[in-house]
Amino acid sequence: MLLKRFFSISGVLLAAFSLLQAAPNVEEGKNLFMTNCASCHSRDMKTNLTGPALAGVEERWAAYPRQDLYKWIRASQALIAEGHPRAVELWAQWKPTLMNNFPGLTDDQIESILLYINDVANKKAAAATQAGQQPGVGASKDDSSTTWIFVSIAVVLGLLSFALMRIVDNLRNLARVQAGQPPVRRTLGDMLTSKGTIAFMVFAATLILGYKTVDNATRMGRQQGYQPEQPIAFSHALHAGVNKIDCQYCHDSARRSKHASIPGANTCMNCHTVVKKGTKTGTAEITKIFASIGYDPITNKYILDYENWTEKQIEDLYKQWIGQEYLADKGLPALDEQGRMTVQMQWEGIVKALKNDSNGKIQGPIEWVRIHNLADHAYFNHAQHVAVGQVACQQCHGPVEQMEEMHQYSTLGMGWCINCHRQTEVKFKDNDYYQQYARYYEELKSGKREKVTVADIGGLECQKCHY
Amino acid sequence: MQHQDNGIWVSVDDLNREASFLKSAEQEFLLDELAEAPAAWTPSRRDFLKLMGFSLGAATVAASCEIPMRKAIPHVIKPDAIVPGVANYYASSFVNGSDYCAILVKTREGRPIKIEGNTLSSVTAGGTSARAQALVLSLYDTRRLKYPGKIEDGEVKKLSWKALDEKIKGQLQLGGNIRIITHTIISPTAKKALGEFIAKYPGTRVVTYDPVSHAALLAANEACFGVRGIPTYKFDAADVIVSFGADFLGTWVSPIEHARGYASRRKIQSLGNPAMSRHYQVESYMSLTGSNADMRIQIRPSEMGAAICTLYNEIAQKTGAPAISAPALNEKAKAALKKAASDLLAARGKTLVVCGTNNVMEQIIVNKINDLLGNLNSTIDFSVLNNLHQGDERDMMRLIGEMNAGQVALAIVWGANPAYELPNAEQFKAAFAKVNTRISFSTILDETTLLCNYVAPTHHLLESWGDAEPKTGHYSLIQPTIAPLFDTRQAELSLLEWADSPNLNRQDEQPYYQYLKSHWADEMKAKQSKYATATAFWDMSLHDGVFEVPPAQRTVSFSPNVALNAAAVTQPGAGAVEIAFYETVNIGNGQYAHNPWLQEMPDPVTRTVWGNYLCIPVEWDGKKKMTGWMGLEDGDKVEVEVKGKKHLCTVVRVCGQAPGTVAIALGGGRESGGCGVGHGVNVNPWLPIEGGFIQYFAKEAKVSGKVGAEKNFACVQHHHTMGLSAKDAESGQTINADEQVLAYQGALTDRSIIFQAHVNELASLRQKMAEFHKHASHLNEQTLYPDRADYFGTGLKWAMFIDLNACIGCGACQVACVSENNVPVVGKNEVGRHHEMTWLRIDRYYYGDLENPRVVYQPMMCQHCDNAPCENVCPVNATNHSAEGINQMAYNRCIGTRYCANNCPYKVRRFNWLDYTTADTFPANEERLFRVEEGDIPFYADNLVRMVLNPDVTVRSRGVIEKCSFCIQRIQEGKLTAKRENRPLEDNDVRTACQTACPTGAIVFGNINNPQSAVSQAIKKQEELAYQVLEEINTRPGVRYSAKVYNA
Repeated sequence: MLLKRFFSISGVLLAAFSLLQAAPNVEEGKNLFMTNCASCHSRDMKTNLTGPALAGVEERWAAYPRQDLYKWIRASQALIAEGHPRAVELWAQWKPTLMNNFPGLTDDQIESILLYINDVANKKAAAATQAGQQPGVGASKDDSSTTWIFVSIAVVLGLLSFALMRIVDNLRNLARVQAGQPPVRRTLGDMLTSKGTIAFMVFAATLILGYKTVDNATRMGRQQGYQPEQPIAFSHALHAGVNKIDCQYCHDSARRSKHASIPGANTCMNCHTVVKKGTKTGTAEITKIFASIGYDPITNKYILDYENWTEKQIEDLYKQWIGQEYLADKGLPALDEQGRMTVQMQWEGIVKALKNDSNGKIQGPIEWVRIHNLADHAYFNHAQHVAVGQVACQQCHGPVEQMEEMHQYSTLGMGWCINCHRQTEVKFKDNDYYQQYARYYEELKSGKREKVTVADIGGLECQKCHY
Repeated sequence: MQHQDNGIWVSVDDLNREASFLKSAEQEFLLDELAEAPAAWTPSRRDFLKLMGFSLGAATVAASCEIPMRKAIPHVIKPDAIVPGVANYYASSFVNGSDYCAILVKTREGRPIKIEGNTLSSVTAGGTSARAQALVLSLYDTRRLKYPGKIEDGEVKKLSWKALDEKIKGQLQLGGNIRIITHTIISPTAKKALGEFIAKYPGTRVVTYDPVSHAALLAANEACFGVRGIPTYKFDAADVIVSFGADFLGTWVSPIEHARGYASRRKIQSLGNPAMSRHYQVESYMSLTGSNADMRIQIRPSEMGAAICTLYNEIAQKTGAPAISAPALNEKAKAALKKAASDLLAARGKTLVVCGTNNVMEQIIVNKINDLLGNLNSTIDFSVLNNLHQGDERDMMRLIGEMNAGQVALAIVWGANPAYELPNAEQFKAAFAKVNTRISFSTILDETTLLCNYVAPTHHLLESWGDAEPKTGHYSLIQPTIAPLFDTRQAELSLLEWADSPNLNRQDEQPYYQYLKSHWADEMKAKQSKYATATAFWDMSLHDGVFEVPPAQRTVSFSPNVALNAAAVTQPGAGAVEIAFYETVNIGNGQYAHNPWLQEMPDPVTRTVWGNYLCIPVEWDGKKKMTGWMGLEDGDKVEVEVKGKKHLCTVVRVCGQAPGTVAIALGGGRESGGCGVGHGVNVNPWLPIEGGFIQYFAKEAKVSGKVGAEKNFACVQHHHTMGLSAKDAESGQTINADEQVLAYQGALTDRSIIFQAHVNELASLRQKMAEFHKHASHLNEQTLYPDRADYFGTGLKWAMFIDLNACIGCGACQVACVSENNVPVVGKNEVGRHHEMTWLRIDRYYYGDLENPRVVYQPMMCQHCDNAPCENVCPVNATNHSAEGINQMAYNRCIGTRYCANNCPYKVRRFNWLDYTTADTFPANEERLFRVEEGDIPFYADNLVRMVLNPDVTVRSRGVIEKCSFCIQRIQEGKLTAKRENRPLEDNDVRTACQTACPTGAIVFGNINNPQSAVSQAIKKQEELAYQVLEEINTRPGVRYSAKVYNA
């Protein structure tokens, strides 16, 4: 009866939920926040991390049009360059930390994020002031609903065992009385400290802790979802998604080597000698490639003795380029305050991206942060999977063509590999290599075998990957 | 005298059933008897709690650490030729004085990590030597000189190249005699550069000597044939070979080339017509070549002249030539030589007599013997001369005179180390000090460089450009495979720089490259007509690594003016004990002493490591006891006195050492320059010089009785022994030694490790082996295991075949395996405790006569048993079997119980007792763990040395078992290549490291499920002669061997 009611309520809630999906809502806001904002902004909205705490953000921007806040979120540097008072104030407070640009967010999406921020901030506040009160009816039900059921079951079972203990007690007393002995009344305390209860508790604790230990140990070193900040805000969504550049155009060794490898700057330059400004980022990001390889975008020539250039020379050149483009975009005759700030900021971005402890120079390779890190004792070969197995990149790396910023999609754990090897069918008939497996051919022919999986040709054996 | 059991034994102690041997065999890992046992530590309860608390805390801290951020750094401009993760191979040459090998250098991400043979060369034909294999490690030697400078107080005070050039040019311009001291130089372009230097400074003369001299051979050939050169010896065309102390398979003239030719006549080509050559070796000590001989004729070193004259007289008698008066020779040798002579005469024109002594008259008589036998221009070909030995120590002696007389103003030492290598090094040092300016090109601070004023360190070979002409018309190129690691400069370039050469383009990034290229365009291109342009010719030559010009035919005849004079040969000495000095395949005369891979490679015959040991003879009492000479035992120290100079030497007993003689290898006791310092004794000062030629024996040696014992004597012969049979002391029955000492379950007494027979008894051997196979299969049918033929019959099944008739024991495979599979070097201490890590060992077994036995070498590695005893006992399933027949080892699963090693009947599993690779040791603990000298760090702890590691093979950490993987990384790579090319796997796709290294093709590897594969064919050809070791215990190994056949 109770259950039925529960289901009907959830049904109504679900229906309402799906209706709300299109408009800005907390749920979508949470997802967006987690993917876009959470790497810099605290999830509790109360503490400053890389970026400021976001609780009360709407109040702080209330003095300005809502559009300004949108603009700030999409392209903060541009707003600073425009000299927006709130933007300048923030920059003064937080520089040199740059906020990432999120040009892809729609107004509704931003509203969703703001809703979520308010939601969390209010909830925290409510929790702080109204401690002990029952959770609000409007609170999200996703996690707590199941926990609730388990807690109730545990309580019911606890009561049941208590009742059982009582019954056992009574029966025992009955027996004692019948044997002519005085009855012994056990208190609740006696029951809880009885050998049986303690043994059960120890057993349960060992079981739970053991499970947790093993579970956590297997997860150690895994970094699914890892999304570090990269020196260049390279967008796979733009390159692979919108422009539909083949993955292997840049990751050209995937088909012939164990490594897919990150392309050298010269591969970038195949296109970026022409595409010298980004549609969303302008000169901010692409100039970093020029500064790495030594390309003069003004004269369209490579700098021959770039190795020997001083940082000042490099600074002058690229500042000139950034400034020149700023003027062209704005149609201004000379750099205004905002322009100077843009130039300075973009130059600082270049320095931050390219100069590091290991080389101390602007010139030289772009040091990307490696996202997919396999354990040293596991051998993985891209060529085997890409060229021979013809596995799509997305199968392991996820919808990269939709990823604005790259993250690790799969667990890269051994169980995950093994599962795929169990299920994946070998391209048996297309490759003469497999002629060696004569028996499988016969079995396929006679219908005894439906398919040959990777596991059938030894894909689960230790030394396929560990040597 | 035949051994009473099965005719096979591993050592003297084995024959004697010594308690020490049984104990050694019993303990796969020697757990007690640490040279210096650490002070006993009895932990208290509080210590236990402290340690537990620390471990818990450390584990918690370590577990909560964030995953470190890793960078992925691409090229700025990616070169076309480099694909990260894919190896590039560059053809080059291994040239070091008298050593030559055409090689391919495997590089990964710009680091040379492995040497392979270059099959395009007709000299080495893809074969390699241990020395060539170890080349890559010397590149990453932490003790290499890192910059040029002035040498003061045994240290290099840094100078810039410019400053150094100015100083040296200033000295050169002062005039006076200039001497350049070198080993043999076989580079045409280097010679051109030297020519330019001499043209600029006419007082210059190049003085060449070799670390081990062949000067008498050159002098004899000049006298007899008018050609000052060493001919090509065609061992593949020789039916009968007689060698007078020439170690032609190990070190003499051109061993890689000889080994191939020799082995081609030792393999059983067909059971009906084996067509095996017969090999007599006349020598006093057991050399690598002698150990392969069908008949060893034991003589004292001073009887060599007598032996040569005796053979000459036998031949002369039958061919009608005048006899000479031969000095006295022992009767046994005389009789054996008579038989040799009749064999030689029976196969006239298809025989070969070679001589390794450094006595001109002995070489002349050997030349005459070859002349009488009609071998000249047949098996001995002067059309193609061997250029590897051009040195003449008499020149060096003259130089010492000149220097003493103050006639030399400036001396340059290039590649040579006379302060160590010369017998009269003390005289050299005194004379050298009188030279005003002394310059060294050495890459390390060796003994001679320490005596110099300036050092202008040259590049390592793998960083250099160059060429070589090892044999007439066989040209070979050297190309760099890595940018110079340090601020060094190629010696040739230094010479050209100092000579102000007009032909040097100093503006070029690599001036010597341009110089070399233009030399090839000017001089070499004209030698061929295939390529019209110099660029095409250069590109192809560089690609192939070798360029060969068909030789002009040259026939020689023995000069009638040469008189044979038996008085000029070595006269037998009267001393009680004679001593022979010999070159080993690994260390040479000390040139390779600083290479840890070569130091830790056991000597093929004595099987000792890290040093040189005094080989002493053994005596058989005719019944059951073998005693070392004077009752000495392995590891005892004795005092040896030769030429009035005394050294303490460690003794090792060798079957086959002639009575009344001892022998010791060259190359020990280096005093400066690297890890070889302090290992062994320097015996060069003991070498006599007679008639200007260095002699490699002394007629008089005084050996004291035992004066002590070496603490950490390291000989691997008794490590990892297996399947030994013995007579039970009480019952007299044949028992299994393992069973006795190990209580090995279900052991069988008739154990099949080696089968051997005379070539004429092949039929009975086949019968015997057929019966054995039948017996074994009968035993193996009684199995609980399911028949897995169906399981292994699908797809690939890897197998190896090793032809024991082709294996000469040279050890190239062993070093190749170490290099390919990141096998750590553990040091002498650890080897002494049975802790050596080699995946592939070469077992040496004796058979035949007890005091003068024959030897069979058996490369032994994981046998990849289909019924592997190791797999059943692993509690964590870290070792298990693949459908391709490979016994897999997952290191990260191993918890180190060592059950598998215990249960392995072949004793091929190795345990990482210490963190040999320093993969997970706190640096502060390294010194204590490895007991290294103060300020020294263990091997592999240095990042420079770690550059040699193969990135495709896991570096194992402490506490795990490891073993041969059949080069699984190569298998996976080969399979992938075939798959990507849409074709079935071919033999050449997968070749193991040991297989590619082998100079004789003794190892064949491949897919045995394919009846056409090389391995299937090789096994099929052997028919019943192929067997599996310990076939009867039903392990079903994936490795098969052939029975050893001799032709006595």
